[in-house]
Amino acid sequence: MRTAVIGAYPKIGDGLEAQELRRALHRRDRGEIGDAELDTVYDEVTRAAIGEIEAAGIETTNDCQIRWDDLLGPFARAWSGVERGPLERFYDNNTYFRQPVITGPIATDGRTLVRDYTFASGVAKAKLKAAVCGPLTFATLTSRDDHYRSIEDRTLAAADAIAREIAGLAEAGARMIDIEDPAVVAAPQHIELAREAYARLAGAGHALALVTYFFPPDAVLESLASFPVGVVGIDVRSRDTTAFDRLDAFRTQYVLLGVVDARNTRLETAEEVARYAERALKLLPQERLILAPTTSLEYLPRDIARAKLAALVEGARLVSGEKVPA
Amino acid sequence: MTENLLPTTTVGSFGKPDYLTKARGQAARGKLGATELEELERKATAEWIRRQEDIGLDVLVDGEMYRGDMVAYFAERLDGFKIGGLVRSYGNRYYHKPVIAGKVSRPKPMTVDWYQYAQSLTSKPVKGMLTGPYTLLDWSYNEAYPTRRDAVLALAEIVRDEARDLERAGAKYIQIDEPAIHARPEEIEVAIEAMGIVTAGLTAKTISHICYGDFAAIYPQVLDLPVDQLDLAMANYGYRWLDLFDRDPYTKELAIGIVDVHAHQTESVAEAAEGIRKGLRYVSADKLWPHPDCGLKTRTVEESVEKCVAVVEATKVVRKELAKVPA
Repeated sequence: MRTAVIGAYPKIGDGLEAQELRRALHRRDRGEIGDAELDTVYDEVTRAAIGEIEAAGIETTNDCQIRWDDLLGPFARAWSGVERGPLERFYDNNTYFRQPVITGPIATDGRTLVRDYTFASGVAKAKLKAAVCGPLTFATLTSRDDHYRSIEDRTLAAADAIAREIAGLAEAGARMIDIEDPAVVAAPQHIELAREAYARLAGAGHALALVTYFFPPDAVLESLASFPVGVVGIDVRSRDTTAFDRLDAFRTQYVLLGVVDARNTRLETAEEVARYAERALKLLPQERLILAPTTSLEYLPRDIARAKLAALVEGARLVSGEKVPA
Repeated sequence: MTENLLPTTTVGSFGKPDYLTKARGQAARGKLGATELEELERKATAEWIRRQEDIGLDVLVDGEMYRGDMVAYFAERLDGFKIGGLVRSYGNRYYHKPVIAGKVSRPKPMTVDWYQYAQSLTSKPVKGMLTGPYTLLDWSYNEAYPTRRDAVLALAEIVRDEARDLERAGAKYIQIDEPAIHARPEEIEVAIEAMGIVTAGLTAKTISHICYGDFAAIYPQVLDLPVDQLDLAMANYGYRWLDLFDRDPYTKELAIGIVDVHAHQTESVAEAAEGIRKGLRYVSADKLWPHPDCGLKTRTVEESVEKCVAVVEATKVVRKELAKVPA
């Protein structure tokens, strides 16, 4: 039974020794250290986070997004034509982000994440995937747009920039790339616009995953099955959903199933995880099912995130008939 | 009498002085006792009461020198909660997100002593400051109650008891903050039902602060929230929420945020005054309360003062303009 993570991993832990990044950022703000020293800390925290995911037994990790302030931050910082604007709540979380403000045509050299991916690929022993933000999420969470005349134009411009980022990551060796796009399920009225945007992202030589979370895919599930991506990620825990009864819509795609609630500390048992998987397996072959947390584990304290990963792996082993260590 | 128009206030928290920040760190590491810490918290509270009077604010707050976080403070004092690990809220800011691990109950009042202390230092009114039941739930992990509504309604009874104790202690203004109220717009009725439990029977002026979220998604339903005044972040949003009032007229008192609290730089008096003028298009001057967008705890003491000064000076400018307008 395959397992993977999604999104960001907690950047710090509760012990003082696990808060090096927090201290380093404060020191940088006070001018006590420079960017080079801060980069070293970012890299070490990335190394440790990947190590924790691997130690839990997860099959596919990412770079843990340790440098990301939020899902849109790396792109809003790097892309020309975009600035970081007002503070806003990130969907239904007590987590906040800077909304993009579009001041001109969006452009990128496509290398925004290449350095981080390259570092992670030198560290990771598990399979490694990259991640980018989704075009619809970028477009719908923009605070102000002084350039594009419509949400359609803005979404497609974001898609073109994301396509360049994907190409840059692919050149750096990425073969699996998550496109984290919760707006596809949060704003299902834009599903056809999203489809048009995703047509611009598809490319040879790498597998794309459209990763949704926070909201059920119910309104768009069959549509998602026809998107030009190899994997579709859905969250079956945050709200009630009919998805379990409709997974046979995914005839060729892999399904990245969010079965461990990454937004609540209550720990799932291995048996509970296995039950979710078995429900999915009624309509989906095991070789196309990947078990995952519902979203970024960064919504949890780090010790709980570790425990959630352990539950995920144990649940996956139960499904596979492997003996779960006591 | 323009002095009674555009009463000025703040949302609740101020920057902590360095000596208190250090002391809180020492206390967290077990190197400073609770009594010593409280002495410093009282000192800082007294300083902030004096600063607010000097600045010329009309309705004061205790400044929350004794709170780290608006949910954890209550969770630490309620049975049924445990304090969880550190979780990031944004940037490099983290908080201990509480866990509702069992049935919640209130062993004793949580804010009354601080209210009484702050009020004893000034003849100006001081607001009683509470976090609302919906936000207490939404900003905690719920491991105990079968549904979110069950947890919210249980918390509403606790907040109601605290509000009644504040009123009995003399509070004429009670603020019950619900910054999470638009986290799940489909649950707005739960938040309204819970606030109804909290404010039933209170004679104090009731206020609810709402910030950083999709206000449009809960407007105009939020007008049914049973409080006298909504207290809204506006400057951060370029006042765009005011446009909603064109379609559905606003019906309550409005505390209007006219300075952004998440920027080091403070708006000019002219900019802040323009914010008040925008608000006056929709709410009369006796029902419009200028203030900063949100609590100022993320700012330094100096920045907090600067932003409050901008609010008061901008208000003076607009009050003068109102005085020139024939009735």
